[in-house]
Amino acid sequence: MIWNFLKPVLIFIPLATLQLVIVPLITVYDIAPNLILILIVYYTLIYGQIFGIIAGFVLGLLFDLISGSMIGASSLAFTVSAFIAGYFYNENKIDINTASFLFVIILFLCGVVNSFLYSSVMTNNPDVNFVTLILDIGILPGLYTAALGLPVIILKPKKGIV
Amino acid sequence: MLNFLRRFTYQFKEYILFILLVVISLSLLSSNDRPEVKNVRKFALGNFAFVNSMLSYISDIFRTNPSYNKLKEENAKLMLEINRLRKAEIENKNLRTMLSLPDTMKYPLVAVDIVSKLVNKIQGNFIINRGLKDSIHVGMPVISSKGLVGIIADVTKNFSVVKTLYNSSLNIAVTVQNINVDGVLTWNGHELMIKNIPTTYEINVGDKVETSDFSSLFPPNIPVGVISKKESLAIGLLHTVYVEPFIDIRSANNLFVVKVVPSKQINNLEMNLMK
Repeated sequence: MIWNFLKPVLIFIPLATLQLVIVPLITVYDIAPNLILILIVYYTLIYGQIFGIIAGFVLGLLFDLISGSMIGASSLAFTVSAFIAGYFYNENKIDINTASFLFVIILFLCGVVNSFLYSSVMTNNPDVNFVTLILDIGILPGLYTAALGLPVIILKPKKGIV
Repeated sequence: MLNFLRRFTYQFKEYILFILLVVISLSLLSSNDRPEVKNVRKFALGNFAFVNSMLSYISDIFRTNPSYNKLKEENAKLMLEINRLRKAEIENKNLRTMLSLPDTMKYPLVAVDIVSKLVNKIQGNFIINRGLKDSIHVGMPVISSKGLVGIIADVTKNFSVVKTLYNSSLNIAVTVQNINVDGVLTWNGHELMIKNIPTTYEINVGDKVETSDFSSLFPPNIPVGVISKKESLAIGLLHTVYVEPFIDIRSANNLFVVKVVPSKQINNLEMNLMK
């Protein structure tokens, strides 16, 4: 049981490093995928909404601490995203949710919400308009994150090691 | 009553937990300026940035020659000097008697490398590999050999957070070089812009923009960018100009921190626009 909680944290450490060091190299006009969100959505669909919400909060808080951004922004965004992903959890359909195209769709939805919420919370500039927030900062990062979720469904181990 | 509460809690445990964590996140957001939170952040940032710095060599595919870095530093100093001289030439042309112009202030520069980047359309931040032990302080400008990149927003012993020009919470007092009109440069998620410039000023595309004498955070005459576009507002009295920065922030590397400490006296004055 403890191992189930430790697994996401252990995977989070290299993912956060990748997010901060490697992901900036693959951005397209400042649109970046969110690898941490893929992890959180994946574990939410496997272990349920409560697990996901707690994982989202804890990993979001850790990411805020190590990335230099405002503390509470990522934790809020990831918590809400995990809450939404949790609605798709079904203990009888874990394989369908995590190993089919449905995972990409859920990831896209959570990615849009996550990016939009994170940027809304962080910005205090009235010049940033709502359409920019929705399109550039919500939908496009959500799409990119969902695209990076494709390898997860292709490479998902059958034995449930991860 | 207790049974009812127990049933209620069990039935809505997900929502209760969700609301609780959201409330905690929001209260953390509102207490970011508290010293305790800042200390925790500095501790975590300082330790994790060390891990990032070990891996950041991956993003530097080609190892740079040390003499190349020295040349870039020299280039950055010359860039500041050239811009100051250009402004002096314009002032002379306008027949301002400034014989008592102060000598060029030689700003010491510290070469830094970017360890990690937080990529976001609105909140562009870098983490650099210099901190308090290199006498870096919050508020010091960060430049490249081409122009202004940002400002030091947070500092730990060995690392610092840089708030870049592509950060919507960074507002910079700037001036358009040719006509000496002042404004505040902001990032709207797409472009750098200076709003509410009176149309009585002849601003042209291609005019250079630099940090203003008004700014108490940035020393004056640091190049920022060029005017790329201007737009008139409906009533035609004011326009908004858009600025293309000299440095491509997304691919910035080989940066320098300008070791200028903001004046405490200016910061305490009521007219300080950057407060």
